[in-house]
Amino acid sequence: MARRNLGAVLRFEVVRTLSKRRFWLATLAVPVLLAIVFLLVFVSNSASDKTADAQKDAHFSFEYTDASGLVDPSIVDTLGGKKITDPAAGVVAVKDGTVDAFFNYPADPTKETITVYGADKGLFANGQYSSVAESILQQSAQAKVDAPQLATILQGNFTTETTTFKNGSTAGGIDSVIPGILFLVIFYVVILLLGNQMLNSTLEEKENRVTEMILTTLSPTSLILGKVISLFIIGIVQMLVFSLPIVVGYIFFRNQLNIPDLNLSILVFDPQTMIVGTLILIGGFALFTATLVALGAVMPTAKEAGPIFGAMMALIFIPFYVLPLTISDPNAIIVQVFSYFPYSAPITALLRNAFGTLPLEQAIVIILILFGLSAIVLRMAVKLFQYGSIEYTRKINVREVLMRQDAK
Amino acid sequence: MDFGKTTVIRDLSFDVRRGETFGFLGSNGSGKTTTIRALLGIYQPTAGTLHIDGRPFKPENGDRLGYLPEERGLYKKESVIDVMTYFGILKDLGRQQARAWSLDFLQRVGLADKEKTRVDKLSGGQQQKIQLGVTIMNDPELLILDEPTKGFDPVNRRLVMEIIDDRKKAGATVMMVTHQMEEVERLCDRIILLKDGTSRAYGTVKDVQDSFGGTIIQLDFTGTVPASDSYSIPLNRGGHAELEIDVGTDPASILHELLSNGVSVSSFTPTRKSLDDIFVEVYGDQAEGGE
Repeated sequence: MARRNLGAVLRFEVVRTLSKRRFWLATLAVPVLLAIVFLLVFVSNSASDKTADAQKDAHFSFEYTDASGLVDPSIVDTLGGKKITDPAAGVVAVKDGTVDAFFNYPADPTKETITVYGADKGLFANGQYSSVAESILQQSAQAKVDAPQLATILQGNFTTETTTFKNGSTAGGIDSVIPGILFLVIFYVVILLLGNQMLNSTLEEKENRVTEMILTTLSPTSLILGKVISLFIIGIVQMLVFSLPIVVGYIFFRNQLNIPDLNLSILVFDPQTMIVGTLILIGGFALFTATLVALGAVMPTAKEAGPIFGAMMALIFIPFYVLPLTISDPNAIIVQVFSYFPYSAPITALLRNAFGTLPLEQAIVIILILFGLSAIVLRMAVKLFQYGSIEYTRKINVREVLMRQDAK
Repeated sequence: MDFGKTTVIRDLSFDVRRGETFGFLGSNGSGKTTTIRALLGIYQPTAGTLHIDGRPFKPENGDRLGYLPEERGLYKKESVIDVMTYFGILKDLGRQQARAWSLDFLQRVGLADKEKTRVDKLSGGQQQKIQLGVTIMNDPELLILDEPTKGFDPVNRRLVMEIIDDRKKAGATVMMVTHQMEEVERLCDRIILLKDGTSRAYGTVKDVQDSFGGTIIQLDFTGTVPASDSYSIPLNRGGHAELEIDVGTDPASILHELLSNGVSVSSFTPTRKSLDDIFVEVYGDQAEGGE
C-alpha cells in the first residue's frame, strides 16, 4: 500500500497543480514576456537597419577648420565639406542655418578635443556629426600610412586564436566552461521556481488541517517524498514551457533576432566536470528542498516563514558578490568559506567546477557535505513535519520535537 | 507520555472491545487527543504500548480505520470528487471504486450536484459532510471520532449519529471523544474518564454512575424533609427535593424513614446520577484549556 500511496500522492500533487489556471497563467507569463522582448528586439533591429541604411545614404553640408594639418582635403571633398579659416564664422554659419555642421580640428587632436557644431536633428541623428568628424580624421591618418597592411592593423582588423594546455592536452577554454555553467543555471531555475512551491506545499497541509488524517494512511516520509518528486516534475514542465520560445526563436528567427549560431560540437564535455556538476546540483537541490520543507513544517503561516525564506533565497545570490575572486583566486579565504558553507556551496562550487578551479578532492568533500547534511535535514524535516504540521496555530519548539522518540 | 518536562499521560491503561462503542471522556487538556494521536502512531509514546488489533498501528493499516480528528480540514482548492477520490485511493480503494463510492455518498447526503465544485466554494455544513464521507470511506472496522459533533450543525450532527449507528450495526468498533453526555448515555457501551492524564473512572456507564454516588431520589412532598445519615440533600425547594443515597442503600428504607418522620410523599422516583452531573463533579474545578 505504501508504494501505491506514494504514486497516489505524486499523481494528486502533479494533476492538481497542472490543472490550475493560475499555474498556467504564471508559467505562460514568462515565455509570453520573452516573446514580447524578442518581438521588440526584432522590430528594433529592423528599424535600426533601416536607419543605418538611411544614414549611410544621407548627406549634410559642413565646414571645417584644421589647425593640425592632418585632415586630408580629398577625403573631405568626397563628403562635400568645405575648409574655412575662421572657427567663429563656422559656428555662426551653423547658427544661421547656412550649413548643417562645422568641425573645428585643434592643433593636436590627441590632446585637445575636436569641437563639433550642428543643426539639431534629434538626439539619435545628431550623433552623425561627430561620427563623420571622427571618420574624416581616422581616414586622413590612415591615408598618411603608405602600407595598406599597416593601415588595416591600425584599424584593428585582425584576429587572434589562443590554445592552452592542461595536463599535456589542449584545454577547452570557454567552450569547456559552458557545459559546467549549465548546472548552475539549472540550479537557479529549479530553486527559484520550486522553492516557494515547496515551502507552501507543506504549509498548505498545515493550513488546511488535513495532515492528521493523511498521516493515518501514509507515512510522513512518503508524503514528503511524493511532494518533492511531484514538484520536480512540475519544475521540468515549467522549464520546457519557458524554453519553448527560445527554441522556436532559435530555429525559425535566428537571423532576425541576431542570435549567434551555436555550434554545439565545439563544447567540451569533460567527464569529471559533468559528474561533479551533477552531484553538486543534486546535493544542493536536496539540501534546499529539505530545509524549505522543514521551514514549512515549523512555521504556522507563509507570512511568518517569509523572512527566513527570503534569507535563504538571498544566500544563493551572495556568492556572486565575490564572482571575480571566485574565478581569479579560488584559494582566497572568502571563496573557500563559500565553497564549504553548505548553503552557498552549490553556487560557488558549481562556478569553480565550470571554470576548472575545483580540485577533485575538494569537490568530493563538498559533495559529501551536501549529501550528508541533506540526509540529516531531510530526516529532521520529516520529523518536524510529522509533529509540526499538527501544531496548527503555533510555531513549534524545534528542539523539543527533535528530542522526541522516533517511530519504531 | 511526556512533552519535554511535562507529563501529559501517566499510568493509563484501558481496552476497547471489538464491536463496542467506547466513550473517551475528559475536559479540555485532559489528554484525550494526545492519547488518540499516540494510538495512531502520530505521536510516539515515551513509555508503554498502544495496540490496535494486537499490534501497533501503522499507516499501512489505514484502510481499516476511519479517523475524524478534532482539527479537521480538506484540500480547499480542488474539486469535491478529486479530494474524495484521493482519500479513497489512500485508503486502498481503486480509483474507479473510490470515485463510485464518493458519488454514492454525495447522492446520500444531497450533494450530488457538487461533485465538481471546489471544496472552498461549499458551505461549512457541506464541507462537514464531505469530511464525514472521507472518514467512513472503505467501510472501516474501527472508527475513531474526536469530538465528532464539534462545530456541526444539527443536520450534520444527526448525520454523524446515523453514520455511527450504521457502522455499529455493521459490527464496527467505535471510539469517540465527546463532551455531549447525552450522546454518551445513548450510544456508549463503556467509557473512560480522563483527568490530568490519568483515569478517573472506567467501565460501563452504569459502573461509572455507581462509582460516583449511586442513586438520586426525586422527591415531591409536603412537610419537612429531616436531615439523616442515610442520605444527603443537594436540592430542596418548593416541595421538591433530590436525595443522594450511597450505593447499596435500599431506596425503600429511605421512603420508610421519610414516612416515619411525618413527610407526606406524593412522588418518590429513584434515578441514577447523570453523567452530566458526574462530569461537573470531576472536572468542575478545572478551567478550560487546550488539549
